[in-house]
Amino acid sequence: MIKVHHLKKEFFDKKGGKIEAVNDINFHCLKSQIFGLLGPNGAGKTTTLRILATMMKPTAGEALVNGYQVVKEAHKVRQSIGFLSGETGLYDRFTPRETILFFGRINGLSEKLISTRMSDIFKILDMESFKDVRVDKLSTGMKQKLSIARAIIHNPPILILDEPTAGLDVITARVVVNYIKEFRNQGKCIIFSTHQMAEAEKLCDEIAIIHKGKILSSGTLAELQAKFQEQDLEEIFFKLVKVKAEGEV
Amino acid sequence: MNRKNISLVFKKEIQGAIRDRRTLISMIVVPLIFYPLLFLGIGYFSVIGQRNSENIPSLISITGAENSPELIEILKKDKNITIIHSENNLDDKLVADNIQLTIDIPEQIEIERDYRENNKIIPLSLNMHYDSTAQNSLVAKKRVSLLIDAFRRKIIEERLNKIGLNSDFLEPFREQWLDIAPEEKKIGFMLGSILPYLVIILIFVGAMHTAVDITAGEKERGTLATLLVSQLSRLEIVSGKYFSVMVISAISMLLGMVGLSIAFLVPAYLLGEVSIINVHFSFTLFLLFLLILAPLVGFASAILILIGIFARNSREASSYTTPIYMVAIFLGMISLSQGIELAQPLFFIPILNNSFVFKELLMGTIDWNHITATLISNIGIALLALFGTVKLFNRESVIFRS
Repeated sequence: MIKVHHLKKEFFDKKGGKIEAVNDINFHCLKSQIFGLLGPNGAGKTTTLRILATMMKPTAGEALVNGYQVVKEAHKVRQSIGFLSGETGLYDRFTPRETILFFGRINGLSEKLISTRMSDIFKILDMESFKDVRVDKLSTGMKQKLSIARAIIHNPPILILDEPTAGLDVITARVVVNYIKEFRNQGKCIIFSTHQMAEAEKLCDEIAIIHKGKILSSGTLAELQAKFQEQDLEEIFFKLVKVKAEGEV
Repeated sequence: MNRKNISLVFKKEIQGAIRDRRTLISMIVVPLIFYPLLFLGIGYFSVIGQRNSENIPSLISITGAENSPELIEILKKDKNITIIHSENNLDDKLVADNIQLTIDIPEQIEIERDYRENNKIIPLSLNMHYDSTAQNSLVAKKRVSLLIDAFRRKIIEERLNKIGLNSDFLEPFREQWLDIAPEEKKIGFMLGSILPYLVIILIFVGAMHTAVDITAGEKERGTLATLLVSQLSRLEIVSGKYFSVMVISAISMLLGMVGLSIAFLVPAYLLGEVSIINVHFSFTLFLLFLLILAPLVGFASAILILIGIFARNSREASSYTTPIYMVAIFLGMISLSQGIELAQPLFFIPILNNSFVFKELLMGTIDWNHITATLISNIGIALLALFGTVKLFNRESVIFRS
């Protein structure tokens, strides 16, 4: 469902010159799979996900989302994805019902379909009790549920989640993680970025460790453990980063 | 570009704006309540202040009163004048002793009163000191100068009588001034002196908060990204936002015009300066106002949206909008100056052209050359700013600046 081939993204900074945010990365993510991009801040996770979500254009390489090219067929790509980030991205002065109506409409759904989907989603995410409360009055957990609802209102086959649990308390983070698992069970392809090793361990079917724009290693957790003779993902990560740093020296 | 999508963004922005207390304040409260109250208050207190000072008796210190008992009598007859006799009048008295005016009457003042033939007349100086920064002193000056003028006329008449003439000798003709300006034009002149400037400010103030909130504010809150991954094209997003800012700004302007008209016409009517019955604006004139102001609303909205998109966050956007606001105030203020006529090429300068054409319309002048130049320049710049906004909206370095 997602194929990334030699993807590159360079930025130009007046002070720092050329910055390679994403440097020749390759991976693919299948249906009913959670693919985790694991890396520290500034590793290139968000840039990669923004390219997949058609918000940014790659400098080189190719990315296919649901069979569509992110640059040439951006419109079709956007029909296939739901995007969610740690920043809830919600309108404070709207209620959850108004938010979902708006996002259903701008994603081209009919009023009837929006109504049915909204009703189902509100039940699934247990949002009935606060569907008419203004967003600025909601708790962080409620807001994150609404963000999820907003991302899936058009029932996209692919979910792009950029650190969706960042800044959340343990309970809310757990709720979000459970929903992500549920979406996988529904057959969705999920690409997920995080800098939390434990979260990646628990959730991801496949993990790519990304650092300074490059994927250092990827595979299932078991494959990575076997490859690096380490049980702990954090140790694997540090081993990889250290090797890279020594290589650079 | 899909009109339905533009309309969705537009409705979303309008719905958000009318639920925002700050937008309601700048769109409704400021133009419809704050401005009229401000101007009515200023007018009320200045009238009250003037009336109060006119009711307060003027305390006048005089030296050399014995040199002109007749003048003293004239001054004493005025109930609002209280005289204190003094040996010498120092300017310090004006401040220290709460005296509003001092008069030094010279010894020779009445020597030459009786005119004799072939007599050489040397006018003497009657020195009076007042404080131009004190309202009470100005009132005293006004009172005393009227009385002294009457005294002077009396002496002249006496002199003329001595030689067998009367005051008509000095008045070969009488001036008759007739104001041919119709009431509407007078009102137009009164409103035209300040209304264009205030309307321009209202257009910018009305648009500013919403424009910043739905561009830089959305960037800051992370909601812009959710629009970028939807089915909306960037042009549709920009258009929806642009039209919503235009509507908010237009409402602010229209309410402002109503509020300011009330603020100016009510006191003028109460003071009997204009007859409100004669105030009527034709439908054509109203359409011309809209024709002139709509492109300005479009221009202001486009510039503010452009700045909002470029800025990293609301705070930065507010910093960028401040100079724009100052320039708008400066250009609008030029119209406040009386007697300035714009040359035709200057009607291509936005804001300045609006304020002058607006002023012309208020005074009943319809100059199509000026109107056309104003329309061309405002629409042209608004389109350029919109084009720039769409370009910026497509630049990753701008959209994801943080």
